[in-house]
Amino acid sequence: MRPSVERGNGGADLVMFIVTMLIALILHALPSRLGSGPDLAPAFPLIALFIWSVRQPWFISPPVLLLVGVAQDLLAGAPMGVWALSFLVAFSVLRLRETDGAGEVGPLALRFTLTACAAFGVAWGAGSFAIGAPVAPGPLITEAVLTILLFPIFAWLFARRKERSTFS
Amino acid sequence: MAQRRSSRRRNDEGVRFPTLLFIVCIFVSCILIYLDRPESRPQALTGLRAGFNDLATPVLDLSVRPFRGFANIGPWWKRQFELAEENRALRMQAAEMRAWRDAALSLQERNARYREALNLQADAAEDRISAWTVADRSNAFVRSRLIDAGYDDGVRPGYPAVNVYGLVGRTVEVGRSSTRVLLLTDINSRVAVMADRSNARALLVGDNTEFPRLEYLGAEPDLQEGDRIVTSGDDNVMPRGVPVGQAVRDRDGRWRVALFSRTAPIDLIWIWPFEPVQAPEADPVPEDLFQEGAN
Repeated sequence: MRPSVERGNGGADLVMFIVTMLIALILHALPSRLGSGPDLAPAFPLIALFIWSVRQPWFISPPVLLLVGVAQDLLAGAPMGVWALSFLVAFSVLRLRETDGAGEVGPLALRFTLTACAAFGVAWGAGSFAIGAPVAPGPLITEAVLTILLFPIFAWLFARRKERSTFS
Repeated sequence: MAQRRSSRRRNDEGVRFPTLLFIVCIFVSCILIYLDRPESRPQALTGLRAGFNDLATPVLDLSVRPFRGFANIGPWWKRQFELAEENRALRMQAAEMRAWRDAALSLQERNARYREALNLQADAAEDRISAWTVADRSNAFVRSRLIDAGYDDGVRPGYPAVNVYGLVGRTVEVGRSSTRVLLLTDINSRVAVMADRSNARALLVGDNTEFPRLEYLGAEPDLQEGDRIVTSGDDNVMPRGVPVGQAVRDRDGRWRVALFSRTAPIDLIWIWPFEPVQAPEADPVPEDLFQEGAN
């Protein structure tokens, strides 16, 4: 698969990046308890950031991660900086290349699992420090598992879209 | 051309962070975490959060509307038959209720006279501010809800929030048009409560679980499983007698409360403009008034 940058469509991608990040943040903030279902929601911003780190890695700069993290904290009412720090650490530890997402969902999902574990681990530590007591890990683990389980669907959609746009 | 080459090079390298920028961002994150701790949050950050909520609330309110609709759709066709039956029954009840309403109005008037005679403060239920929940899922760190009413609607920090079942929490960050409500389940929530049956006092302490703990009960508390728990008003933060939940024991034998407010999703809530009683030193009487009284 050819790298997406060869399409020379950086401006449209930038707009898409901003729109998808906003949608991910809003979806994450919506109260899932309004319905009668369980109080669970995957970390959509993490999924979106990861997918964009494969598609256009230079969008994922430290200030962007800081901004998205702080926005997520503000929308969720969590102490500011918790998710910013976790995104920064997770994405710096597990650096991605364009070739990592070359149409194969399996390796990408494995890499995402590691990134999610790092992000949620750091968030747990930072959140516990901010609150002043160890946070019960149950909800975070549930959220992490849900995020990891949901990721292949988005990765598959992303891979399909990428193939289509490459051949068009 | 040169830019495209540069882009491709960066793309092949993958995610790469400039070291200095990365360190600065990590530092900023750490500073934010340190400063924005709930127990020692500076006023500036509280204002920033409230301002952000004001900006986000219209967007979130718009986004949440379809979900409210979904929650109400359910098995629509089945509900229609039930609604028709319910409607018939309600019409009959409404006819009976007219007589009861007259009796209630008469009693309300008499009650108001008694309150006046006894110098009791009315609960002013008619002053409650209605608001919709627009955002916030409970997460691992905070249990709160963002609502679409703020300072302009009369909301102030510390006001109790209730729904049709009972106490939900209290307001903490108040913006112009939005407010964050700290739920009773949050780790920072503390409310003085009592058992309705025995008046046994306790402190309801949130621990980010669905069932907040009852603490400071004493050695042999007069409490039974299923006892109705209401606010005691001892903390001068909440009014007395607001329903909270039922006393239950957990696996370890500790007392907890099954909250009434969790009976249904927290959707429409009311903010209760409760003003706590001022301490004498906070509201001193001028000396000349005492002298007038003596004369």
